[in-house]
Amino acid sequence: MSDYLKPLPEIQPHSKAFWDATKEHKFLIQHCKDCDSNIFYPRRDCPECWSNNLDWIEAGGQGTVYSFSVTYEGVEEKFVADLPIILAWVDLPEGPRINTNIINCEPEDVSIDMPVEVVYVQATDDVVIPYFQPVKR
Amino acid sequence: MSIAVIGIAEVPTIRDPDRTRWDILLDVCMEAVRDAGIDKDDVHAVISPNPMAQPAMANDMALGKVPEVLGMKGCRDIAIANAGGTSNTNCLRIAKSLIEGGQADFVLIPHTTVQSDIPSEDLINFFATAPLDKQWEYPYGVTFNGSMGLITNRYMHETGATAEQMAAVTVSLRAWGALDPNSIFYGKPVTLEDVLNSRIVSTPLHAKECNLLADGGGAMVVTSHEIAKNFEKAVYQLGHGTRFMSATPFMRKDLFHRKAYRESSTDALAQAGLSINDMDVRQIYGAYPYTQCSALEGYGVCDEGQGAALWAEGRCGPGGDLPCTTMGDATGRGHTGSGVSMAFYLETVRQLRGEADDRQVPNCEHALLTTSGGSVMNTCTTIFGRSPR
Ligand SMILES: [Zn+2]
Repeated sequence: MSDYLKPLPEIQPHSKAFWDATKEHKFLIQHCKDCDSNIFYPRRDCPECWSNNLDWIEAGGQGTVYSFSVTYEGVEEKFVADLPIILAWVDLPEGPRINTNIINCEPEDVSIDMPVEVVYVQATDDVVIPYFQPVKR
Repeated sequence: MSIAVIGIAEVPTIRDPDRTRWDILLDVCMEAVRDAGIDKDDVHAVISPNPMAQPAMANDMALGKVPEVLGMKGCRDIAIANAGGTSNTNCLRIAKSLIEGGQADFVLIPHTTVQSDIPSEDLINFFATAPLDKQWEYPYGVTFNGSMGLITNRYMHETGATAEQMAAVTVSLRAWGALDPNSIFYGKPVTLEDVLNSRIVSTPLHAKECNLLADGGGAMVVTSHEIAKNFEKAVYQLGHGTRFMSATPFMRKDLFHRKAYRESSTDALAQAGLSINDMDVRQIYGAYPYTQCSALEGYGVCDEGQGAALWAEGRCGPGGDLPCTTMGDATGRGHTGSGVSMAFYLETVRQLRGEADDRQVPNCEHALLTTSGGSVMNTCTTIFGRSPR
């Protein structure tokens, strides 16, 4: 596991719960108890009403591709082994749009509006990164 | 009350590590002051855009080396502005407040950038990590090109713009650049086939639709409308409007910036007492081709989704009836970091002076110029004219 060369997410105090949950294969979305907003990415304070009365809801792990871009070159050396990388923005039914990669998918098979589901990849002993993959029929 | 540009200078955009940052800087400062026809000691302030990815040079400029080295004895203060591609816009805003506040008659705004001596791995890292979120984007291999590929793909999906139409934007931008001795692509136009046959970097973007990082520099001298009336070559700022969207592209509701283009231009045009149809040229700094399309849609030059068609019909390129972006944007000129917007301002001044040679738009009286910073976090729209209102 220690041979992970790519940059790890810079985890912040207010996002720690998100990254703790991915280790248990759960995708959390921050939620404001005062104005009922679902918030992504996690912050210290609600961006809608500035409340700090925040908790978490668990997302269902489903989504649809809003846009994607298959990257073939122009990445740092540490990403080269992953090329081509399918960058994607995925809309979650809970509201937020997130940035991710589509994995377990050929570049020619990805499309806008395609249904996808979360899949967890153990990066290091301490970090599990959520990606998305095509929904298996 | 507003400001006017009375002096300009620029060095050609090239890649040459032997041409140093300071050589560029000194050359453009002296040439802009001479072009204005003022004395070096008349410069009351030096306001510089932050040279991105060059921390040593940024420190020199932030901490007052420019007026000291050039012996500008009348200099009252200096400042540096960093807002990525909109750094120069912020320099003009600071200059305006110094001039209107009675602290400066003449302000020098100089830019320098050398990227050819920076290892490409470091540049990729800089342009990946500077504007991107290090928790939610960078670990996924997002690059600047990838980010813009995501937006462009969605733009094409929603508008039905074809790969050929999008490539035509680059053909026109390169056609402008081919006419510009300050472009790295001077004398080097491309065909539709050249663009479409170039390597795919991040779909749907081909290599020729992405930016070549290069070295360059430019400078301008600005003063008040009042003082500018004594300067024959003065070009006047007539209005300015601005809108912010988001730092991070996937957070952006106004993904193609149409609303931001519309609202910022509405404010700027209202101040100028002009309409979009009064503009003889539209200078759009977006650095990626989709912005050249969505800006025209936002400004109301055409309907939503029709921007790419205008470019494909050749209407925005040389000889077209809607000339746009006559300096070629970063795609058609070479990307000089925070210097691209400097080049946009300089080209706009040349057009309004009638000094744009082969690129000259006939009877150019009014110009609209928009700049954007970061990953298109904002749109800053300024109206310039050949005469004050
Ligand atoms: Zn709230």
